[in-house]
Amino acid sequence: MSRRTEFEFLGRVTIGQYLPTGSALHRLDPRTKLLVCLLLIAVVVASQSLLGIMLLLGAVLIGLALARIPLSFALSGLRAMLPYLLLLALLQTFAIPQYAANATVLWRWAMLTITDRSILAGILLIARFSVMVLGLSLFSFSTTTTELTHGIEHLLRPWQKLGLPAHELALTVNIALRFVPIIAEEAERLMKAQASRGADFGQGRNFIQRTRKLLPLLVPLFLVSLHRADNLIEAMEARCYLGGKGRTHLIHLQAHAADYLALAAAFALMALVIGLSTANADQLLWRLLSTYL
Amino acid sequence: MIRAEEPLIRVEGLHYTYQAGTPKPIPALRGIDLTVQAGEYVAVIGANGSGKSTLLRHFNALLLPTAGNVWVTKWNTRDTVHLRDIRSTVTMVFQVPDDQIVASVVEEDVAFGPENLGVPEDELHQRVDWALAAVGLTELRHRASRLLSSGQKQRLAIAAALAMQPRCLVLDEATAMLDPAGQTQVRKILHQLHQDGMTIISATHNMAEAVQAQRVVVLSEGRIAIQGDPRFVFAQEETLHALQLDVPYPTRMARMLATVIRDFPTDVLTVTELAEAISMHLGQPLELRPKPTTGVR
Ligand SMILES: Nc1ncnc2c1ncn2[C@@H]1O[C@H](COP(=O)(O)OP(=O)(O)OP(=O)(O)O)[C@@H](O)[C@H]1O
Ligand SMILES: [Mg+2]
Repeated sequence: MSRRTEFEFLGRVTIGQYLPTGSALHRLDPRTKLLVCLLLIAVVVASQSLLGIMLLLGAVLIGLALARIPLSFALSGLRAMLPYLLLLALLQTFAIPQYAANATVLWRWAMLTITDRSILAGILLIARFSVMVLGLSLFSFSTTTTELTHGIEHLLRPWQKLGLPAHELALTVNIALRFVPIIAEEAERLMKAQASRGADFGQGRNFIQRTRKLLPLLVPLFLVSLHRADNLIEAMEARCYLGGKGRTHLIHLQAHAADYLALAAAFALMALVIGLSTANADQLLWRLLSTYL
Repeated sequence: MIRAEEPLIRVEGLHYTYQAGTPKPIPALRGIDLTVQAGEYVAVIGANGSGKSTLLRHFNALLLPTAGNVWVTKWNTRDTVHLRDIRSTVTMVFQVPDDQIVASVVEEDVAFGPENLGVPEDELHQRVDWALAAVGLTELRHRASRLLSSGQKQRLAIAAALAMQPRCLVLDEATAMLDPAGQTQVRKILHQLHQDGMTIISATHNMAEAVQAQRVVVLSEGRIAIQGDPRFVFAQEETLHALQLDVPYPTRMARMLATVIRDFPTDVLTVTELAEAISMHLGQPLELRPKPTTGVR
């Protein structure tokens, strides 16, 4: 199946895969995992403290261990993104000095300057992304798409009275996720059909060349998707789907003691990280280190 | 059982035109009159583009007539107040297995219809259990729906329709994408459902399936060309050929044999009937196992 090589990049991205190891983390209520995940992202974005972000990284690694996910597998997902991350970090490093006043200049050449602050900013960016990617991977490794959509719907349901379309949102996510493999299959079918008529999807020299070769697929793929969506809408209408109003539910989520425990632990950790950030803990640590070294 | 004093579905002077009001209207149905009684099994056959799908979509108000009327029991399908009643009385199964599964877990997909109807929870569970049992998917209820085979997916689609507890099941080429084993399984399920009192309307290109019906409706260019019981319809081989339709294989074979064997019956429809006719001709009555035509594995 050499044709699969075109999807190589997607194949190496591990986010979105589910790994049924049956761990305690897998058995947590999806609402718990969703909340913790959202909180994690918010805090990791807000936190200015490298120390705090390192703590979060540690917590995510412990989470991976608890979920019995092989570390090498989790990291392989991160490795696929590494080139892009490094590029971003480099841009960040050169972009920062204009804004930082009291930074020490380490290196200067024409317009380009590197300061201690900008290096820190680059490192922060890599650390932030690593926590996010690993955190989201952990979530997807331990949560099925069905659990995810039930979690979303249950979390949003209290706001339904205020006009938030909880059910519709959850259903949209569910259908989008369900159609990913179907569309991928369709793409493969189209590629085979076009290849048999002489189209060449072979290895281009670089990413852009390879992407350009895939462009002729987009229009038919789009049309096929629209057609299938049309079919699905019809099937849903035939089953009396008229929106979320007045629906009953087969599945009900049930939170257990472990969920409350996990939530409490997560909140405590996040509070600590925010605290570290506002207390400027990095600077204290920096001063401490420089006096002793 | 209630005596049907009114037909389950009544179609009067139905015209339907796609892209009506545009420079290029496509008339798909041109004057259909049809009634289906409760408990009937009707097969709809016709060449590609003859209007089968268009007609079937009128039975539960997925399409509304350009002219004429369709009634489901006492409700006119134009009457949107009764949309829920109409669509839970007449449910549909479509051709492509993947495109009609909504939920990602088997039992949740079966529950989707009754959930929409607001069926209370304890009854919801009963309905799901019953529908899964009716199509033999009970064991797979917690499976991911996308991991089922095409045949299993189509049985799931039937279960999902059944969970609405309809009076009538409408199938639009529901077996077209299945392998022979899958087709046979679905055919057996339909046969059983009909025995239990379900009204079934099935559009098909598969004549072996049409033979199973009590009435065959032949569509051609948006009109009903012939209708009647399968024996009556499939006796008209020349007319059917002109409409680009075949008669079932056993019927065709009997007609071939009749050209060389005097008095060979040509009104056979199934393999069993053909075998019986041949053995009668040979003077050796056939020892029949119980119902091999519907009992094929
Ligand atoms: N969505 C549509 N828009 C425009 N024309 C359509 C549409 N659907 C069907 N038609 C046309 O209406 C006519 C009847 O189509 P219909 O799908 O009902 O036929 P069918 O008997 O189901 O055919 P098949 O055996 O191919 O399923 C055809 O001429 C077809 O081209
Ligand atoms: Mg059709």
